[in-house]
Amino acid sequence: MTRIRTGPPPRSPIGESVPRRDGVAKVTGAARFTSDLSVPGMAWARIVRSPYPHARIVSVDTSAARAVPGVVAVVGAADLPDVNLYYGHALADHPLLADGVVRYAGEAVIGVVADDLATADEAAALVDVEYEPLPVVAGVEAALADDAPAIHERQAEARPHRGFEEEIRRDHPNICSSSTHAWGDVDAAFDGAAVIVEGTYRYPKSYAFAMEPYTAVAHWTDGGLTVWSSCQHPFMVREDLARCFSLPFSAVRMIVPYVGGGYGSKSYTKIEPLTAALALRAGRPVKLALSIDESILTTRGDGAVVTIASAFDADGSIRGRRAEILLDSGAYAENSPLVARKAANRISGPYRIPAVEVHCRSVYTNTAPASSFRGFGAPQGNLAGESQMDEAAERLGLDPLDIRLKNVADRGEPLWPGVRGLDATLRDDLCLAAEALDWWTPPKPGHGRAIGLSASDAGSEPVSTALVRVVADGSVTLTVGSTEIGQGSATVLPQIAAAEMGVPLERIRLLQSDTAAVSFDRSTGASRTTTLVGLAIQRAAADARSQLVEWAGETLAEGGPVEEAPGGVTVGGVDHDWGAVVRAWFGGPFGECIGRGYVRRAGTTAEMPPFWEIGCVGVEVSVDEATGQVRVERLVTVGDVGCAVNPQLVESQDLGAAIMGLGMALTEELVYTADGTLLSGNLVEYRVPRAGDIPAWTSILAERGDGVGVYGAKGGGEGSLNPIAAAIANAIRRATGARLREAPFTPERVWQALQERDRAGG
Amino acid sequence: MIPAFALARPDRLEAAFEVFERAAGDAAWYAGGTELLQVMKMGLARFGTLVDLKRLPELRGISVGADGTLTIGAATTHREIERSPVVREALPALVRLEAHVANVRVRNQGTLGGNLCFAEPHSDPATLLLACAARLHLAGARGGRELGVDEFLLEPFVTAREADEILVGVAIPPAAVGEGRAYEKAKFRERPAVSVAVRLRVADGVITDASVAVGSLTDIPVRVDEAANALRGSAADPDGVEDALASAAAAMTGLDAIGDLDGSPDYKRHLAGVLVRRATTAALSEALGRG
Amino acid sequence: MAEMIDVRFEVNGREHALRVEPRELLADVLRLRLGLTGLKVSCDIQVCGACTVLVDGLAVSACTYLAVDADGRSVATVEGLAADGRLTPIQQAFIDEAAFQCGFCTPGMVMAATALLAEKPAPTRAEVVAGLEGNLCRCTGYIPIVEAVLAAASSTAGDDGQ
Repeated sequence: MTRIRTGPPPRSPIGESVPRRDGVAKVTGAARFTSDLSVPGMAWARIVRSPYPHARIVSVDTSAARAVPGVVAVVGAADLPDVNLYYGHALADHPLLADGVVRYAGEAVIGVVADDLATADEAAALVDVEYEPLPVVAGVEAALADDAPAIHERQAEARPHRGFEEEIRRDHPNICSSSTHAWGDVDAAFDGAAVIVEGTYRYPKSYAFAMEPYTAVAHWTDGGLTVWSSCQHPFMVREDLARCFSLPFSAVRMIVPYVGGGYGSKSYTKIEPLTAALALRAGRPVKLALSIDESILTTRGDGAVVTIASAFDADGSIRGRRAEILLDSGAYAENSPLVARKAANRISGPYRIPAVEVHCRSVYTNTAPASSFRGFGAPQGNLAGESQMDEAAERLGLDPLDIRLKNVADRGEPLWPGVRGLDATLRDDLCLAAEALDWWTPPKPGHGRAIGLSASDAGSEPVSTALVRVVADGSVTLTVGSTEIGQGSATVLPQIAAAEMGVPLERIRLLQSDTAAVSFDRSTGASRTTTLVGLAIQRAAADARSQLVEWAGETLAEGGPVEEAPGGVTVGGVDHDWGAVVRAWFGGPFGECIGRGYVRRAGTTAEMPPFWEIGCVGVEVSVDEATGQVRVERLVTVGDVGCAVNPQLVESQDLGAAIMGLGMALTEELVYTADGTLLSGNLVEYRVPRAGDIPAWTSILAERGDGVGVYGAKGGGEGSLNPIAAAIANAIRRATGARLREAPFTPERVWQALQERDRAGG
Repeated sequence: MIPAFALARPDRLEAAFEVFERAAGDAAWYAGGTELLQVMKMGLARFGTLVDLKRLPELRGISVGADGTLTIGAATTHREIERSPVVREALPALVRLEAHVANVRVRNQGTLGGNLCFAEPHSDPATLLLACAARLHLAGARGGRELGVDEFLLEPFVTAREADEILVGVAIPPAAVGEGRAYEKAKFRERPAVSVAVRLRVADGVITDASVAVGSLTDIPVRVDEAANALRGSAADPDGVEDALASAAAAMTGLDAIGDLDGSPDYKRHLAGVLVRRATTAALSEALGRG
Repeated sequence: MAEMIDVRFEVNGREHALRVEPRELLADVLRLRLGLTGLKVSCDIQVCGACTVLVDGLAVSACTYLAVDADGRSVATVEGLAADGRLTPIQQAFIDEAAFQCGFCTPGMVMAATALLAEKPAPTRAEVVAGLEGNLCRCTGYIPIVEAVLAAASSTAGDDGQ
């Protein structure tokens, strides 16, 4: 790891690669996930799913299922008149069980609850559902045809916290939402251009493959509802549960143990309302544990078709960009309207482009619903935009690095009107990547190199709170609403608290992700936790220290003025740690000081986005021209994160994100037939990266203290994924002369492109 | 959950046949379980009785007979074959193949016999054994019989084995003087995308005999006589064999390939052409070493 | 209902006598009956390795392994590694190298690495990669895991040399 740091050094243990707090639990198998959870009296659920991609439910006969000994409840939408069936982050168009119609093969229709899983399985096989098939549209072009069947007949309620303010517009019944992102005079930009690069690029429908499938346990008790779930945003799910079951928020408790992978696919509400509904009818706690195959049918990543043109001057300056993005968002909106908004935002950055016009439409299709997934619209557009930068460089006889250096926005420059200025020095990042990749030394024959760049308006909403509680022995409990999804928040957040309180890390305990026990955090996603929850902790610590200094003044200060010192105060030359202050104020070995930190859209976090998330990568690939197989031989990641609170964890995220991006670039694709059948719906057919795929890796962390977080921190965790596909496509081009525009770049697609290259005369 | 079944664990072949017969058609032979248990878990098959073959001594063991025939017991795991010094000496291509079947856990649990009898059409061993003219020994209550691999494999997941017959062992003829045997595969996902096995014999710098089998291309592993014919009679040196390699590759283009997520029929035929070149080159290298 | 079968097998050095249905899978017996929830069920089709346990030292997919087949054998799960609270070199190396993130693949990965090093105490990098090819990880990008296994191998070699 190379670390480039500017600015004053942060206070220990910030900036140190302290070992992960959850390490011993995870390597010994002691770490408990929702999948491992059992509560007394718990019953088990199995879901009956639609085999049809689009059909009306004609009749349901559950009598045989109900008759199986050990079956506790068999539940369909019709059995839930007391429940608001519909949820959805952007549009409440998703019923927790199919409501008269099924819109994709795999949709949940009936829930069976029984004493044990074997009985639930047996009974589920006896549920008899009669369907009347309806016409199917399984791709965006078919869905947008004039005579296409409408997948949603009525307009669903737009939810208030969907992440953008515009109306949800539908110009066609199968458009879930449209977004436009535009400024400047695009026509003039194109009219005067020396070179116009045009093309259509395709990004696959993907599956996040969090290794822990969706799992939830619901328990109705004391007039309230407790749900344990493998989820990223317990406070948001709490809100949806409250809505579905007409409860006050405070009557719903969401508890999140360790999460076995999220990557955005466990953002927002998934199977929690369904599990709670089954528990309601069963009169017992219910566990719903989906399989991986069912999880593939629950949430996927949006696929995209991007038609784009970029206009350049002869010297390589980019004059304008036009793009049409069609997202294949599946049967339900979930979070795709926001993904569409972000895809439109992110296809222009991080370059200074005088004129842009992007239209992005999220389209309903009769396939599994798409929602948030790492990158969140950025990877889809980046494949197109960054491919075009290289294509333009080629046409203009420029080095791909130079064309980027020429156009990249400078620090402080807003990427488009009205947003926070760029809080990163991208040209330095580009040069770091180039140097690490040996950019100026020709690669071996059959090898090619490329550099990729992205900038995303990240952080989502800056709404977070934290409590720092100092008790009578000076030890500290930190409570936050984040979840530990693998990114290391359980380690990084205590590091911040330790630094801010001046208390040794070992004396800080963290309580996370139990909505009854911790204070509000909006979400764990959008790379926001270190930056925004970190700020909340910093403010909570400052609040605690301020109270403690005041207390010291009241009870310890006969000796003179109180001075704050690391971990306590000094009064008249005598040191007192925080514990001593607490004891003094309460008059004995008891009491507690509660420091509160609030973050909202004000002050340093008034401007949006809270920060820009940077992706800067370099790749070197080799291509076996006989078979079309591509190998990524070298990978460079530049983590431009402002301040790496835990450097080892930052680079872990950079590598993990890059390799996930490598998956979608080379092998991952959910393949649907025109009639709505999923061909790659399991781990045999859907190929994720393995140990043998790994490249040689150089990790660079660039810490320039330029973010709004503690010591200038910004977010990471998605950045390195965004530019990977385009970088690989560009590297393949440089290695072989073949241009790939459809990811994943499978061996056959590469081989076809090589044939085309040969036909065109090499 | 797997539907309930009874498990019998006989320790003699006769007892195995008896219990199978008592189950009156609702039984399956069970060894490693990597494929059988998988389909039962998925609800694609159910049996009232599973008859465990793992305790039958008749199905174990790896040996080379006086005439050089390599015999591998059907209940031998992929791992045991991979690590067998006997197999390494007699048929090194099989050792290399077994080291790359599925993943380490499947190799530890799964058996050669189970692999051949389940007849998953992408089976690695079936393709190599076809080119090597292996014989499969079946035993039944009514007696035993021997089949070639091509007689044994009928359709995807369908073999000539009667339900109450047990595959006992696989017999592979020894390598003749100047013979080389090789297996090459392209693998993009969990199973082979295309695989080719080549057996050839070289004498006086000429390929005097050849056998080519291709797997994961057509519906089941098949011999490609046109490719073998293209190799037969060719010079064996790198320059001299070039034309034969091209013809053998071209022979793949006439095959009735099945497209799947690994590729279209045309692309897979192309891959078969690439692999027959690579497998022939590897077989020649072994053959010339044994000359 | 099919007959139950009495089985005896060792798990992490301790003998267990159980009555199981023939169809019961080792993963369920270990997780649900013996409370050993370290191994996880992810793909359930023997591809991902999250359910890896060792039976007589050999890695198997517990999700597709009948409990009855463990009869008379010795089963090792991740819970059995740290004797008296002392982590094995592999476990310690996973922590040192940050060879995990969400932790869901980790028990299976640690068991796969344990079997690998038991068989090849001084593997090359290529041998480690080949040995871990059957265990998926979605978080780390694998490099820290490979480094951890190599580090554990050399730290063990160092100890042996003393």
